Amino acid sequence: MAVVTTARRGRGALLLAGAMVALLAGLWGALALLGYDVPASDTTAADHGILMSLGFLGTMIAVERAVALDRLWAWSAPAASGVATVWLLVGGWADGGKALLLVAGILLLAVYAALQRIQPSLHNALMALASVGWIVTAALWLDGWQLFRLLPWLAVFLVGTIAAERLELSRLIGIGTGPRAALVAASALLVTAAITAVWSPGVGVRLGGAALLCLAGWLVRFDLARRTVRQHGVTRFIAVGLLAGYGWLAVAGASWLAAGYQVWGATFDTQVHGLFLGFVMSMVFAHAPVIAPAVLRRPVPYHRRFYCHLGLLHLSLLIRIVGGDALGSRTTWQIGGLLNELALLTFVAVTAAAVLAGRKGRSGTGWLPDASTRRLFAGLTH
Amino acid sequence: MDASHPAPLGIADWCAPALTADLVLAALHDVIDPELGVNIVDLGLLYDVRVDEGRDVSIRMTLTTPGCPLGGYLDDEIQTCLRQFHAIRAVEMQLVWEPPWSPELMTPAAKEQLGWRS
Repeated sequence: MAVVTTARRGRGALLLAGAMVALLAGLWGALALLGYDVPASDTTAADHGILMSLGFLGTMIAVERAVALDRLWAWSAPAASGVATVWLLVGGWADGGKALLLVAGILLLAVYAALQRIQPSLHNALMALASVGWIVTAALWLDGWQLFRLLPWLAVFLVGTIAAERLELSRLIGIGTGPRAALVAASALLVTAAITAVWSPGVGVRLGGAALLCLAGWLVRFDLARRTVRQHGVTRFIAVGLLAGYGWLAVAGASWLAAGYQVWGATFDTQVHGLFLGFVMSMVFAHAPVIAPAVLRRPVPYHRRFYCHLGLLHLSLLIRIVGGDALGSRTTWQIGGLLNELALLTFVAVTAAAVLAGRKGRSGTGWLPDASTRRLFAGLTH
Repeated sequence: MDASHPAPLGIADWCAPALTADLVLAALHDVIDPELGVNIVDLGLLYDVRVDEGRDVSIRMTLTTPGCPLGGYLDDEIQTCLRQFHAIRAVEMQLVWEPPWSPELMTPAAKEQLGWRS
């Protein structure tokens, strides 16, 4: 049988390697930030936030869109962010690496513009708007701003991208224009908050908290995951990961709203890691069984063991944020943080093992024709 | 298998019922969008399925949005699904964006599965 490929194999794997470098370096730096005595982690610690948000998550998102557009030039966005990551890690003229990260964001915006030309849509326009969050973050970071000042813009990029994706999927469950408009309004509020935070971080972060709470409320009330969680297998796994993430989005939003602008300490930890680990990383864990085969063009059979790293992520975050940040135990916070890292490494290891196992399997998520199909096509099938 | 040098039909092919677009469409009910848990036929993603000379399958389909990265993934799933038919010589999948997908293309079964209110 001739196989017609819709994307070239191998390219996705190469660029995902760039994201993996950012992830591992970011995790190494996090060990130092958690107070563990690890050698030579100054650079990775200082750039931990950028490595995790733009280096890892940004590259992953850019790879997804490049796979979708399926044009050679679209791969320049994740390639640029991957090279920028390595540049920052190797050291030497750091502004060059930062500028390249800015270029990567602009290239991602160009990918969205190309997608919009193919088929204009509100959700794609919102994703393009979210990518402006990457551009502003990188531009201001290049200008010398501290990363804690840029959290609202990182939220615009990562939360805005996810919100736009959920808006797109909301068409499949037949919700009305009112709720869809509410999601757009909450996203617009998040952008407004980020703009405000440039001049007034105190007001901007609280406004951002209100936006995150609105988004969490919308997702819990209307999102597709509430319906698909009643299904089984990989579909339920994805829904569980999403719903758990929505809880952390609400926690982060409440913390942003109640405590406002923070630059360090326990509340800052809750604001940052509730959002980016609890919400965004949970999205990544949930969608990995779908995105990995789409990017790698290799089968990644779903297995119930995927719940182990998902569960560990949320349990370790509970330990970190409740036991560490809220109750003020530094040791508990350190243990929770270490377990966060273990969850991420387990996720990488389990997913890689599934990719290797899938080479022997038949399909992307473990599909096999059922007995009724076999009977229906008796005589035509092997 | 090289489409330009197809294998000769075997005895099983002569004994089997003819492969038709309807049969292929029925088989594609097994290709599931993993996030939705709904098959691509009921989602209304398939615009056209043809079987030429009883052996060459061509599929014209869309996705819910061009920004969705699952085009290649669904291509792989379709190839895997149809590999069970020994009569098939080649499967060609073409992604198109006109007309744009809309929820109206979903079947009542898909809508019911995703909790639409009737």
